[in-house]
Amino acid sequence: MKKTILITLLASLIFGACSISAAPRLLIENDQFNFGFAPQNSKISHIFWLKSAGDDSLKILKVVPG
Amino acid sequence: MAVGDSTRLEIIFNTKRYRNKMTKKPRIETNEGPPHKSVTIITNVVARPDSTYPLIIKPYKLDISQFSPTKVRDEMKFNITNVSDKDLTVTLISKPEGVFDLQLPDRVEAGKSAQGILKLRPDAIETSFEKSFTIELNDDKTSRFTIPVKRTRRTPGEPAKKATAGHGH
Repeated sequence: MKKTILITLLASLIFGACSISAAPRLLIENDQFNFGFAPQNSKISHIFWLKSAGDDSLKILKVVPG
Repeated sequence: MAVGDSTRLEIIFNTKRYRNKMTKKPRIETNEGPPHKSVTIITNVVARPDSTYPLIIKPYKLDISQFSPTKVRDEMKFNITNVSDKDLTVTLISKPEGVFDLQLPDRVEAGKSAQGILKLRPDAIETSFEKSFTIELNDDKTSRFTIPVKRTRRTPGEPAKKATAGHGH
């Protein structure tokens, strides 16, 4: 009986620890870009790379203009 | 995105009637939760792009639009003039993938001009877009210049295929 309780406790501790540590993480390599001189009334663009660097899948929910 | 995967985020900035140094920080909200991360773009918007220093690029905006159904317009030349008293090397820093290729001079001598050529990729010929590319110089300030590139593809009797805008990922 004691053994069963102990195993249950250990299992819940291990699974609990796993669920706490599994987290998504966004990594942005080179998160700054300088366009330098650019003319008025133009659309200029640059591509940034985003990486899912956590240990759970990453969802991009929204990009809010700065 | 699965763990370890990467994706692209294209940030498009409309310089409108802004002037001088502009900094924008678009925020990326994810299930990672707050504080959310952001990217930073910095631009020096010039009202007189025909009188910049140490380079003057003409035309300062490349419009490679095509309105003829038969005559393919897939190449555009532009001039880079070094208005300083030092030779300058030119390095390509950023350009969109799969849209066009560039031939740039490695070096522009002091007081001289050199030619650059933009050539559309075959896949981009039937498209409309507004993109840009950025070059960097080896002057004291490591000056950068961003040249907008626009293409509107339209055949007579057909509405223009609107250039894509906004940000995507």
